[in-house]
Amino acid sequence: MTYSLSFALLLLLASSVAGFFGALLGVGGGIFIVPAMVLLFHLPMKIAVAASIVSVIATSNAGGSSYVDQRISNLRLAMFLEIFTTAGALGGAVLALYLHEWAISLIFAIMLGYMAYASFSTRNLDDERIQKNLFAKAQPDRISRFLDLHGSYHDIAAGKVVEYVVCGARLGIGVATLAGIASGLLGVGGGVLKVSAMNRYMNVPMKVAVGTSKLMIGVTAAVSSILFFLAGLIHFMVVAPVAVGTTLGATAGTMLMNRLHSAVLKWIFSALMAYLAYEMLAKALMIGFGIHLPSAAA
Amino acid sequence: MITNSTKDQPQPVASPQAEENVYSDVYRLLIAGMVVTNILFVIGLVLALLHPHYFPLSADWVRSQYHWRTVASGLMHGNPSSYMMLGTLLLILTPIARVLVSIYAFWVDHDRKYVVVTLIVMIVIILTVVLGRLGLQ
Repeated sequence: MTYSLSFALLLLLASSVAGFFGALLGVGGGIFIVPAMVLLFHLPMKIAVAASIVSVIATSNAGGSSYVDQRISNLRLAMFLEIFTTAGALGGAVLALYLHEWAISLIFAIMLGYMAYASFSTRNLDDERIQKNLFAKAQPDRISRFLDLHGSYHDIAAGKVVEYVVCGARLGIGVATLAGIASGLLGVGGGVLKVSAMNRYMNVPMKVAVGTSKLMIGVTAAVSSILFFLAGLIHFMVVAPVAVGTTLGATAGTMLMNRLHSAVLKWIFSALMAYLAYEMLAKALMIGFGIHLPSAAA
Repeated sequence: MITNSTKDQPQPVASPQAEENVYSDVYRLLIAGMVVTNILFVIGLVLALLHPHYFPLSADWVRSQYHWRTVASGLMHGNPSSYMMLGTLLLILTPIARVLVSIYAFWVDHDRKYVVVTLIVMIVIILTVVLGRLGLQ
């Protein structure tokens, strides 16, 4: 194909939308970029998926750096959970050889559906707990105490410094491994699961969960990207506008995120998870049973 | 600036200044990666738009660019694909470099537990790449 101004600009624009929401919610944004590239620009699926994975690194650099600077990302928590997401991604790639894709998609659809409901029903809880300083009052478990997992950040929307103590490390390990498996197996969903696990089970405030996940997804994406790169699947002519666009979008997203109330973030987050759950269900039904639901990805 | 709360918090092993090192090192690395790769991408995009020419969407074409000599001469002669390829390569390596920089920063801070944690992450990454590479062949 040949480059044209409209191709480059449209791809850049579509990617900046993905980068914006990715930074706001701590996810990669591949679920927005892949359908855009395939449906609008008629790029081959493999090239679109590979380019979107590289763009996850771009949003992770742009979003992660800003969140590290604001101390919203917790570097120790990120490092600790990265053991399990990277190991999970490796496990997922191996599992993919033995499991049926429709079964995996169905399992994740159910899990995401539950997480979407859980996040929506607890959407006001974060702001309440911030006001009452409850995030600092939890009892850390043995692992969290051993690894000094705690921190604080300045919440602009709440207008105060929020301190928190991490607990529930074991459950966190479980979901982080599953998140790794999801990204290794399906290429999507890792960030979504990490954010909900940290927020729901580990006593991590929503914004810290977003900032920490944003940083972590870069590593998982980099590992897959190296393999795609060696296979020649990463088409850098496609990657360039997508990476620039996601960087711009992510920068805008990080500027806005800390100014929003956690309830707003969780509202958008639940909607995204519900959408992702639906897409996974559509995929499972199509591959497993030949039933076609209207879907952008399938 | 530093406000120590009086609540009964778990005792941090590393001093607050020590943790500052990790945060500022990681921050600087990520910003550097972001700026350098985006400059390369923008140069490549501008060149590609100034002199539009056909490029195939195939893995063979992509792999044909994987030679240092091709990249070096491409950079000198203003070939857009060489700028974009270098940008992509550096972009992919940034998170890996972030893990390496963290190992170093935790080491400097005498934060042994996290040197070990980060080393495990690095080992899993290497293992994945090696196994993945074997699986591809």
